[in-house]
Amino acid sequence: MQQVTRLYNAFLFAMAFISGAMLVWLMVSVVVSVFMRNLGIQPFAWLFTSSEYALLYMTMLGAPWLVRVKGHVHIELVTAGLRPAARRIISRLVAALCVLVCLVLAWKGVELVHTNLARNDYDVRAYYFPRWLLTISFPVCFGLMAVEFSRFVFGRELMHSGEAGIHE
Amino acid sequence: EETISAVHAFPTTLIYTQSFLKFVDKVNEAGKGVVQIEVRGGPEAIGMFQQPDAVRDGVVDMVYTPGSFYGGAVPEKDALVASNLTAVEARANGGIDMIDAIHQEKMGVKYLGWFDSGVCYNLWTRDAPEFDADGNLKVEGLKLRGNAVYNAFFNEYLGAQVIDLPTTEVYSALERGVVDATGWTQIGLIDLKWNEFLNYRIEPCFFSTDLGVIVNLDRWNSLSDEAKKVLQDAAIAHEAESVAELKEKRDADFAALEAGGMMVVSLEGEAKANYLNAAREKTWARMKGLMAEHPSGDGQYDALIGKFYDPALDQ
Amino acid sequence: MMEWYWALTILLGSILALMAIGMPVALAFLAANIIGAWIFMGGEKGISVLLNNGLGSLTSFALVPIPLFLLMGEIFFHTGLGARMFNAIDQLLGRLPGRLSYVTVLGGTGFSTLSGSSMGSTALLGSLMVPEMTKRGYKKYMSIGPILGTGGLAIIIPPSALAVLLATLARIDVGALLIAGIIPGLILSVFYIGTIWLQCRLDPEAAPAYDVEPISLGEKLTLLVRDVVPMLSVMVVIVFMMVGGIVTPSEAAAFGALGVIVLAVVFRCLTWESIKKSIVGAMRVTLMAYLIVFGSATFSQLLAFSGASSGLIRWATGYELDPVIMLMVMFGVLLLLGMFMEQISMMLLTVPIFFPLATSLGFDPIWFGLVMLLALEISFTTPPFGLLLFVMKGVAPPDTTMREIYLSAFPFMGCSLLLVGLLVLFPKIALWLPGL
Ligand code: NA
Ligand code: NA
Repeated sequence: MQQVTRLYNAFLFAMAFISGAMLVWLMVSVVVSVFMRNLGIQPFAWLFTSSEYALLYMTMLGAPWLVRVKGHVHIELVTAGLRPAARRIISRLVAALCVLVCLVLAWKGVELVHTNLARNDYDVRAYYFPRWLLTISFPVCFGLMAVEFSRFVFGRELMHSGEAGIHE
Repeated sequence: EETISAVHAFPTTLIYTQSFLKFVDKVNEAGKGVVQIEVRGGPEAIGMFQQPDAVRDGVVDMVYTPGSFYGGAVPEKDALVASNLTAVEARANGGIDMIDAIHQEKMGVKYLGWFDSGVCYNLWTRDAPEFDADGNLKVEGLKLRGNAVYNAFFNEYLGAQVIDLPTTEVYSALERGVVDATGWTQIGLIDLKWNEFLNYRIEPCFFSTDLGVIVNLDRWNSLSDEAKKVLQDAAIAHEAESVAELKEKRDADFAALEAGGMMVVSLEGEAKANYLNAAREKTWARMKGLMAEHPSGDGQYDALIGKFYDPALDQ
Repeated sequence: MMEWYWALTILLGSILALMAIGMPVALAFLAANIIGAWIFMGGEKGISVLLNNGLGSLTSFALVPIPLFLLMGEIFFHTGLGARMFNAIDQLLGRLPGRLSYVTVLGGTGFSTLSGSSMGSTALLGSLMVPEMTKRGYKKYMSIGPILGTGGLAIIIPPSALAVLLATLARIDVGALLIAGIIPGLILSVFYIGTIWLQCRLDPEAAPAYDVEPISLGEKLTLLVRDVVPMLSVMVVIVFMMVGGIVTPSEAAAFGALGVIVLAVVFRCLTWESIKKSIVGAMRVTLMAYLIVFGSATFSQLLAFSGASSGLIRWATGYELDPVIMLMVMFGVLLLLGMFMEQISMMLLTVPIFFPLATSLGFDPIWFGLVMLLALEISFTTPPFGLLLFVMKGVAPPDTTMREIYLSAFPFMGCSLLLVGLLVLFPKIALWLPGL
């Protein structure tokens, strides 16, 4: 079990690392294409397209890690007004609702990848890019987010602090 | 009475959307008590590039969109892109029926009509275009803006690495000189105000618009024969009327542009023929390649081209 | 099809309820989307459309500048370059109470002239200024308020991508609309400065009144040349790159980040630790904001597809009222939609209805376009869901509460409303410059 947890954590952080690398790639790709253009060389069209795709991968691969570090903002109104016992229940219920949302999206994400493969779908921009390579990020992202949110359902830690305000 | 939900790819104010809305009015007039189209909006209702999938999955019944937005599913749309005919001829010679059959087979949608055809694309530049000794267009100095429709031509024939910008960014890119040339249809430059920066139109024009109405096939089959007839008749009538209307609009736009100082430069002789051939053949090659990857193969390739291209017109 | 008010009730009701019980904002949008897609897009197949739509809205180059401006601000902060610059400015400005708030407005106004993106400029200024100012003992509203305000200036003062898009959609003169924004934009920043002055008078505690050692002219010059000019020159260089056509406004952010990295290397303060912290900091805000964008873009589309928003617009504008009241109705509709929708969808939806109406009411279209931009700008910071508020929450110190951010935003929203009032009374403010 411990082995599995360690492997899972490594995977989660590896995805976050790729997400960070995508952010750096945004800067590099823009800088390179501007340099090429101004040197009179026509920049590779894939520089532009890759930065658009990087936005998706960055968001999807980093989102589960952001749940781990409690980085998704929420507003505490109801939970702030409740007694600790009631708050614990509501907080775990909200987390469970998040798990449900993520599971639905992960499941539809798997279906979408299937459809894209079956239909041989392409994302048509400067190039014809296989669509499933983009949509595969959905089941991965939402599947892991479901796992991360379930830690707030069953784990020791709560998502809500009980102090009014927007929280990270 | 049956109701068909519809969305359109472009914003409501764009001329091509206006044309589609006229078609909707025609159907709703002729179809009273039988069939009505209920327009749910444009890209604000369903994303521009997600509309083809939405109609395919039956989330919406009808979509007005360029075929190029679903070129991965129906690469045969390139036959329309490279066409030198209008919908009137392609309807008469059975070309549109053939395209309809391909849409039904490959995408599960009914191809109802090819609207706003007969409009082609020009290259527009800020500075006077340069030509080499043989009269071919020189692209080295151009900062050319491209998109998915014409990249096969721009990249592989003209040898240009295009700057891929969304339509909404082109104005400020032209303003600052990030790009100084772009392809665009004959119509619409004035609406986008790009004529403030572009001073030359390069002839000949190439390609054709490939805007069409597609309907979810299950929904189509569920309609009464009477409703189908209302929709199909209105579509065939609008195919012809939109050709005539847009021709008028093009002449008016050209006159206004020339009054505003737009210069027209034309390739001549062999250079012109090569330019047109390249636009067409690079696009056909892309189509053939993608057709061959599909289980149904590229057997229909020659027949399809025969329906949408008349070599006699280019003599 | 369902009546528009039922559609509106279901969609807005579900999102408000989910957020109220403490669901993360992005997840609340996604959950409301699932409910909405199920009802309005025919069951589970609607959810695939939802995912496809989210993919489409996220993979758009227009979103590239935000993480890069954040990266730029974070590097400034974590390498200590920001602290150097603000120490120097602090010393140079001497005793003026609230000096860094003024710097924020002036810098923000300058920055607005180059960035067309209010999210980008909020991200940059927020990550740059709020931590520094909090460290120096400023109350949070003295930093958060002005930044939320100047984030909005970005879309009025040219260049502005949103203004170009509005002019294109409404078929009005792009140049005229851009030029029309200059004077009102400057007036607005004057209002902001007035607001800060007033806030300092009302609550002297709001800005630290600590004394700064008087220093000689020579020392001042050294500070200026060593600690201020190099940092400012990064900004100036990217302005020139934009004006000179070397980069587009969207690309400028990448050079901002690169410029700060180069600067940090020159000042020998770039460490692996600071790089890592900067990337993680930029990621936290970007990921949080983009997952909200992913959810809210589709929510906007559901409001449109279900007929809820167009029904609301038609109902609200369907009465024959006095032109000024009609203008207030349109303004109100924009503010209401703005709480839940993103700006481009709002423009696509309202322009085809509002502009013909405005023309029939006898409004000048350029003037009306500017008023509409102001409404879009204000709605971007309207509690509870204006997106800039969340971006700000992401960059502000961890103990910042929702109340603080809302209360900081109100005075500056008031300035914008005051400007709209002035524009109604004196349309010349907008129309004089383009009329020349
Ligand atoms: Na601006
Ligand atoms: Na908003």
